Amino acid sequence: MPTKTIREEFVKGLWDENPIFRQLLGMCPTLAVTNAVINGFAMGLATSFVLIFSSVVVSSIKKLIPNQVRIASYIVIIATFVTMADRFLAAFFYPISKELGPYVPLIVVNCIILGRQEAFSSKNTVGRSLIDALGMSLGFVLALLILSSIREILGMGTFLGHQVMGSWFKPWIIMVLPPGAFITLGILLAIALQIERKTKSRR
Amino acid sequence: MSLSTRMVAVLTSVGLLSGGFLAGVGLLTKERIALNKQQEIEEKISAVVPGTYSIEKFYEEKDLTVYGGKDKEGKLIGLAIHASGMGFQDKITFMMGTNTSLTKIFSLAILEQTETPGLGAKVDDKKSFLRFWENKDCSSILTLRKPAASSPEELGTSEINTITGATITSEAILNTANSSLERVRQLIKEGKVSSEGQDAN
Repeated sequence: MPTKTIREEFVKGLWDENPIFRQLLGMCPTLAVTNAVINGFAMGLATSFVLIFSSVVVSSIKKLIPNQVRIASYIVIIATFVTMADRFLAAFFYPISKELGPYVPLIVVNCIILGRQEAFSSKNTVGRSLIDALGMSLGFVLALLILSSIREILGMGTFLGHQVMGSWFKPWIIMVLPPGAFITLGILLAIALQIERKTKSRR
Repeated sequence: MSLSTRMVAVLTSVGLLSGGFLAGVGLLTKERIALNKQQEIEEKISAVVPGTYSIEKFYEEKDLTVYGGKDKEGKLIGLAIHASGMGFQDKITFMMGTNTSLTKIFSLAILEQTETPGLGAKVDDKKSFLRFWENKDCSSILTLRKPAASSPEELGTSEINTITGATITSEAILNTANSSLERVRQLIKEGKVSSEGQDAN
C-alpha cells in the first residue's frame, strides 16, 4: 500500500484528501464553532492534538488489537485524548473552553479521527500515520480558519476580535448564525469542486 | 490465548491505561479549573448584585449556594443565589441577585447551560431572556408569561417571559428560581443566612 512518498502522504491532507473540502468529514464542529476565528482555531488545534496522538498510539499498538474489538479500542483511545484536551482547555483557556462548550467532548465522534484510524493508522507504520495525521490536521485547521475568517469578517466586521471593516460596514449577523455556516461552506465546496474539475481536465 | 480472552484482555488493558492516565490529568488540572470557576462565580455575583465590593458565602447545599454581596463599608446589600436545576438537556446553573429581604430580583446571570443552540440556549442571551428578569418582584411566586411578551414593560411585576420554542427551558429556570427563593426564605428564618442590611430600592 505505501506507494506514496512521505511528502505526498503529508500534502494529500491539504487538498486532494482535505477532510472538509474533499472528504466532507467532521461537519459538526466545522459548522458549529466557526463563528469566530479564535473558536475555529482552538477547535482545529484541539482536534489536531487528538488526531495526531490517537494516530500514533493506534498505529503503534495495531498488531495487539484483535480485529473484532478495534473500533471499541480506538474510541477509548480517542476519548482519552479528547478528555485531556477538554481538561487542558478548561484549566488554561477557560473562556475558550466555555465558548466551545459541548463541542470539545464531541471531538470524540468527529469522523475525521475515527476515519483516519480505520483507514490509515490501523494499516500503516507509526511514522506514516504521524505524517498523515499532521497533514490531515493542517488541512482541517486551514479549512476551519478560512471558514471562520469569512464568517467573522462578514458577520461581525472583525478579525480575531479586531475591527477590520470600516464604520460604513453593517455586519451581516446571519453569517455568525447557523445559516451563515451552511451558506459559507456551500459556496466554499462549490469553489473547491470547480478548482478540482479544472485541474483534472488539465492533467 | 483464545480470541475471546485476547479481546477481553486488550479492552481491559486499554480501558485501565486510559483511566489511569486520565486520573493523572484530572488531578493536575483540578485545582486550576476550580479556581477558574471560582473567579467566574465572583464575577457573576458582582454583576447580579450591583455595587458588590466583597463577597461572603453564607450557606451551601446540593444545587444551592447563597452568597452575600457587601458594599465598601461591609454592609450587606444583596443576596446572590447560585442554583442549579434540570433544564431540557442537562442541568442549568444560574446566579440570581436579590435584595436582602428577598422581595426583589435585581437580575439573573447564567453560569452553565447546554440547551439547544438557537432555542433553549437563548437563556444566556440578554435580549431574548435575561432582560425580562431585571427588577422583578419576587415576594410572591414568579409566574410564566406564555405566549411570550415582546418587551419587559408588557409583563406583570412578578411575571417572567417564555422563550418561544423553549418552554421547557424557561419553565425549568422559573421553577428552580421559585424553589430556591422558597428555600432561602426558610434558611433566613432558621438563621443560616443573614438578611441584615438595608434594601436598595
